[in-house]
Amino acid sequence: MVFAWKAAGITYNRYLAVASRALRRSLKEDKRIIAERRGEAAEVKFAKWSNGKPGETVNLSSANAAAAAENATSVPSS
Amino acid sequence: MNSLRIARAALRVRPTAVRAPLQRRGYAEAVADKIKLSLSLPHQAIYKSQDVVQVNIPAVSGEMGVLANHVPSIEQLKPGLVEVIEESGSNKQYFLSGGFAVVQPGSKLSINAVEGYALEDFSAEAVRAQIAEAQKIVSGGGSQQDIAEAQVELEVLESLQAVLK
Repeated sequence: MVFAWKAAGITYNRYLAVASRALRRSLKEDKRIIAERRGEAAEVKFAKWSNGKPGETVNLSSANAAAAAENATSVPSS
Repeated sequence: MNSLRIARAALRVRPTAVRAPLQRRGYAEAVADKIKLSLSLPHQAIYKSQDVVQVNIPAVSGEMGVLANHVPSIEQLKPGLVEVIEESGSNKQYFLSGGFAVVQPGSKLSINAVEGYALEDFSAEAVRAQIAEAQKIVSGGGSQQDIAEAQVELEVLESLQAVLK
């Protein structure tokens, strides 16, 4: 079975994160505030090192989005 | 002697025995028609190896009910409702965002998910508002990834809305 999100190049990890985010936003007010504070992971940045020198510092989420676009297999019909 | 054994085996047959005949071995009749459930999230353990009677899980391959002596298996979960029937007969419902359920030998069930809350913690209004928003993105002209993510959200929210009613 091929999932639509997989065809768009989204990883399972990202899929779970999106599903969980939707779930957190659906909670009742009091629980939602606690959950969203816990759920929104810190902004992770990374740099690729080569030849002993750090490369450009990239935001993880934007790098993930770029990788997803690269891995996409086909243009969805909808 | 042989016919006696067959007669005894026939008396013993119960629904669970029919489904997993190889796992049953006579003599141990006294043990457990309970299953040990661990339902854990990264930030919380809802059940910690607790005896329950039955657990209904929304596997990608279909809804399934897990009783004691279930065949060992690994199931990917879709976002959906997990129902736990406890020893006291009470019925608890949790909505999980997706993860895996592992049925281990010896009547153990481990469910891992990223987010999960009791059904009464959700607000139908928030779900409705998010569905409208996600539908706007799906029909809009975003990138392929944005649309796919909105579709994932829609899948979660629509199944949540269906069980909230």
